Amino acid sequence: MSIKLNVINLEKSEYTGGKSSLCPGCGHDQISKVIIQAAWENGIAPEGIAKMSGIGCSSKTPAYFLGKSHGFNTVHGRMPSVTTGAAMANKNLLYIGVSGDGDTASIGIGQFIHSIRRNLNMVYIIENNGVYGLTKGQYSATMERGSTKRKGQANDQPPIDLCKMAINLGCGFVARSFSGSKKQLTSLIKAGMSHKGMAIIDVISPCVTFANNDESHRSYGYVKDNVEELHVADYIPHFSPIAEVEITQGEYKDIELFDGSTLRLETISNSHDTSDPVAALSAIHYAELQGKHVTGLLFFAAGIPTADEIQDLVDIPLASLPEELMRPSRAKHDQLIRKLIS
Amino acid sequence: MENIVNDFTINIATANGTGSQSANLILLKTMFDMGVPVSGKNLFPSNISGLPTWYIIRVSDAGYQAPGDRTHIQIMMNADTWQKDIDSCDAETVIVYNSDVKLPVERDDCVVLGLPMTTMARKINPKLARMIANMYYVGALVHLLDIDIASVQALLERQFKGKASAIEMNMRAIDEGRAYAEENFGNPQPFRIEEREKIEGQFLIDGNEATALGSIYGGVNLLSWYPITPSSSMAEGIIKWLPELRNTEDGKSTCAVIQAEDELAAVGMVVGAGWGGARGMTCTSGAGISLMSEFIGLAYFAEIPCVIWDVNRVGPSTGLPTRTQQGDLNLLREASHGDTDHIILIPGNVEECFEFAWRAFEYSERYQTLVFGFSDLDLGMNSWVCNGFEYPSEPIERGKVIRTQAQLEAVENYGRYRDVDGDGVPYRTLPGSGLAPILTRGTGHDEDGVYSEEPEVYRQLMKRLKRKIHNARGELPVPILREEEELEIGIIYYGSMETTIQEIDDIIEDTGVKVSQCRVRALPLHSEVEAFVERHERVIVLEINRDGQMYGVLRKELPIHLVPKVMSVAYSDGMPPRAQFFAERIMRTLEELKV
Repeated sequence: MSIKLNVINLEKSEYTGGKSSLCPGCGHDQISKVIIQAAWENGIAPEGIAKMSGIGCSSKTPAYFLGKSHGFNTVHGRMPSVTTGAAMANKNLLYIGVSGDGDTASIGIGQFIHSIRRNLNMVYIIENNGVYGLTKGQYSATMERGSTKRKGQANDQPPIDLCKMAINLGCGFVARSFSGSKKQLTSLIKAGMSHKGMAIIDVISPCVTFANNDESHRSYGYVKDNVEELHVADYIPHFSPIAEVEITQGEYKDIELFDGSTLRLETISNSHDTSDPVAALSAIHYAELQGKHVTGLLFFAAGIPTADEIQDLVDIPLASLPEELMRPSRAKHDQLIRKLIS
Repeated sequence: MENIVNDFTINIATANGTGSQSANLILLKTMFDMGVPVSGKNLFPSNISGLPTWYIIRVSDAGYQAPGDRTHIQIMMNADTWQKDIDSCDAETVIVYNSDVKLPVERDDCVVLGLPMTTMARKINPKLARMIANMYYVGALVHLLDIDIASVQALLERQFKGKASAIEMNMRAIDEGRAYAEENFGNPQPFRIEEREKIEGQFLIDGNEATALGSIYGGVNLLSWYPITPSSSMAEGIIKWLPELRNTEDGKSTCAVIQAEDELAAVGMVVGAGWGGARGMTCTSGAGISLMSEFIGLAYFAEIPCVIWDVNRVGPSTGLPTRTQQGDLNLLREASHGDTDHIILIPGNVEECFEFAWRAFEYSERYQTLVFGFSDLDLGMNSWVCNGFEYPSEPIERGKVIRTQAQLEAVENYGRYRDVDGDGVPYRTLPGSGLAPILTRGTGHDEDGVYSEEPEVYRQLMKRLKRKIHNARGELPVPILREEEELEIGIIYYGSMETTIQEIDDIIEDTGVKVSQCRVRALPLHSEVEAFVERHERVIVLEINRDGQMYGVLRKELPIHLVPKVMSVAYSDGMPPRAQFFAERIMRTLEELKV
């Protein structure tokens, strides 16, 4: 039996992690599997990835994927700032941040906003189930008004839509998906990994324990029946020239990603222009009015300077600078002192 | 009338935003350039324009740097504080006032001299009259104190390099002020400035800029900060000097600078940089430390090298944002929830600000922990005489970082949190290396970094952390001791109190009591501090806060039998310490003990 290897000759087992301690059937575990698949298929060396997270069910998952990558399970809502510091220390790594809706939309919303504003070079995955799982099912700020979890009253607060927010903040890559849509999610995460700059991927990921009843807008059943896919997304890596890929029938649009890969979007119903932020916002808005979740790549813009590019840093990672780049020379020191005296 | 030479205090009362600071600095720097020992203190409001400001210049051949307990020359420019300023003058104070303010100065017991400063300034430039008016008190003082006008001219030329019109305008105002004073006052007062031999290599600098420079020499790779008085100028100092001192020849940066959205993000970035293997720092004040506390615990528990400078201001809460205090010592020592234990470096002068700033990075990586720098508004924001900065005596050491497979193999039984060497400090690998990857976490973890709630695993980890920091005690800056043979009274003090201690000591010794000094320069306490207490009959812990925070640390960390001989003298009203006042408090405390 032949072993399947990726483009850098690694087996998929090189990308797996520890055993999950989440509830059986949790949507988050599906996403972990997709991250493993995406990193493997994209042929990214595990040591070239850093896994970042905050606190919550979702933030535990970096223990369950990419066991050969360093990771940092930080504090609640502060994954973006820690990632910012790490990205300055070593700008050459691929940072994959995993956060939840409590982590991102409540306690960490300031850091979410500002990391987008700085265009931090990372993939930011929100595993969004509308509830606080680890504290046993309180509503989070993304849960739809009127949505009801398994026990207790309907949610009386309006939701924060993180994709809308990201688009308004000028994020260059904004996507929404569903943990049950393996194919679409894999394409989007792979594309996010190939994007330079902040890639926000908001993944609806049902909480099987506290909110998987049909009255919850984030249950498997509800999402399956009420999802509106903008397009079928196909990711074509840079090492597989498009010519080799089977050309799809019908209308499609190719999005060129930073590393030369392509995200091919096959239009389903109306043609969505991913370069138009207003179109993206209205797609979300109209889906919302109908109680639906719109999924796919909502907005894309390449070429926005990233947080590390703005710094104009040396090529070598700051974490590996030689001493002569860490401390002024004695000659410079003498010059400085002369200047201070005069 | 006998002249009083180089031994007096000038208090300049103005309003914020009127340009008085540049006049004050011209005065201060002119005297400094004449070799006269001076120090300047800016007492400013939390406001950009309009509220009262005082600038105090202490001239002292004895080298005293505190603001002094009384004012000898009072400059009055501010109508809002007019009567208060007059009332606070002792008899025989020389009062120089702007007569255009049109308020009375009724003090028969003082020397009262008025100049129509605004009227004269208006003739030079009506639009800038308010600003230029300040130069007239400089002029009046040039005459009264007998300062050579050529020295002022030389300073202006250096200060406003190449800006001929600025030099001319300011010089004209100063000279007109001087001439007016000469013509109208004669010289009815005793204070004089006499030139001294200038000590080679000295310059004026504030503590924040000195710390900024030291950080640059310490190899800072990330500065993330959120503006807060009185620390902002430290960040701005780093930003100012980085291009010249640390950019590569082709102009690339070796230090990222990010103005964060708040202190939580600022410290988060520092933790991220430390985890990634770079040298990160932030600077803030007490309110910022309160916000950073959660991350401080993470850095301690997950053993991430980080540096945070706290330039203390008056707390609690927003407090007095532009006044000075040593109020954050308790906060820093055990910051964050649970049992913590942080290294604090406490410079007492600008030379140490520079040195401790580069050393902070060394300690943080050597012990894989968070290191605090403890400064305050007085030290950080005022100009002090500096004897120069010594180039770091040791090369940069990155601590126990494993960068290659061979290094990893050389460590027997490696685990991220395993005490392989028995010194409490484990080895670490960096993201991107592919070597022994782990998921770093703030949750309980075993020696391999794997999540654990095992009671014994937790207890052993906490014991090792305690041991690790305890072991650092002997390596941190040793206390500075100035001991008398008598070993009667010992004063333990720290930080910016250094600028006042000698004057306090001299005042007490004038009463016949011999005083030894011990300046603590780091926490946890060095064993030398304990020995100092052991040797002396009575020990006073002197500090600028209400509760005696260092005294509290001593009570906790000293052996119990030494505690009864240690007394606290702590006082804080937002002002820098005055020597006479503190000396009296010490003597009163000693007196009470005798009863």
